[in-house]
Amino acid sequence: MNAIPVDIPVLETERLIMRGHRIEDLAEEKAFQVSHRAKGIGGPHPPEQGFRAMAGYLGHWVLRGFGVWALEDKQTGSYLGRVGCFYPDLWPDREIAWAVTQAGEGRGIAYEAAIKSREYAYNVLGWTTAISVIAPDNDRSIALAKRLGCHRDPDWEHPTHGALTIWRHPAPEALQ
Amino acid sequence: MTAPMIETERLRLRPPVAADLEAYLTFIMSDRATHVGREKSRFSGWKCFAAEAGHWMLHGYGPWAVTMKGSDATVGQVGVWHPEQFPERELGWLVWEEAEGQGIAHEAATAARDYDYRVHGTQTLVSYIAKDNARSIRLAERLGAQLDPDAAPLDPGGLVYRHPGPEAVQ
Repeated sequence: MNAIPVDIPVLETERLIMRGHRIEDLAEEKAFQVSHRAKGIGGPHPPEQGFRAMAGYLGHWVLRGFGVWALEDKQTGSYLGRVGCFYPDLWPDREIAWAVTQAGEGRGIAYEAAIKSREYAYNVLGWTTAISVIAPDNDRSIALAKRLGCHRDPDWEHPTHGALTIWRHPAPEALQ
Repeated sequence: MTAPMIETERLRLRPPVAADLEAYLTFIMSDRATHVGREKSRFSGWKCFAAEAGHWMLHGYGPWAVTMKGSDATVGQVGVWHPEQFPERELGWLVWEEAEGQGIAHEAATAARDYDYRVHGTQTLVSYIAKDNARSIRLAERLGAQLDPDAAPLDPGGLVYRHPGPEAVQ
């Protein structure tokens, strides 16, 4: 047996295990995709988008050698969303992306995972810059981008979601 | 989270990798993909390819990249998949234009089906085929599959071919 040629690293933060998605995460990912919470990523989506999205997150690792992690609550084992390094074809730049489930909301979970992802992007992947792509009306995400020290760049026209705001992260040197 | 390698007389089936992307996009954005869900843009095609590669890690099975022995370039994609909107586990095949007419899909699909029965203990497999996809219908029949009018189709009006079970082909 030959492993799919990608090993998704497992990271740990104070409250989270960050790991590759598993089929056990499907119910909660699906609940997220069909909910209004998915509005910022072109949703709400039909239920089958849950599986497709998770397969896509994993395939992103195959294609790029990096990707987003599933966030697992260290204490309860619950799936709290996905955060990580995201760069699909035609994307304007390498992104630190985040989306958390209802259970992950309001506790600084996305912030904690985004910080860890950005450290990974800069220290392990060697990125020299990163953006976050956010729907213009997604106030909570924009607040998080600001908390992460991002400043606004010119908007970008997504092929299907319309104009999105681009938030540029502080460069690696600025964080040291 | 493993994808095995399978060898047949002429072919090597291996896990999909990033280097396979461009050939896949050429196919999936072409008229040849009309019957299997043509993608209009690189953007959506990229996401499709990613989801197919990622399928392996969620289910432990998925579509293999099909190559001719002696070359690592793909000539198609064949395997077993079960994304959520599929009523049943499907044996599916895609063959790039330049590799058409050599029995590659037949050889690869036979190997993938045998593997799925033998290794995963699967008891039944279907192939979802658009009703005007004459080539795929012929291949399904050549693989011994029969139209199953009672099975739920993938799309309204689509055909479901049911494959002979493990006892019949082993």
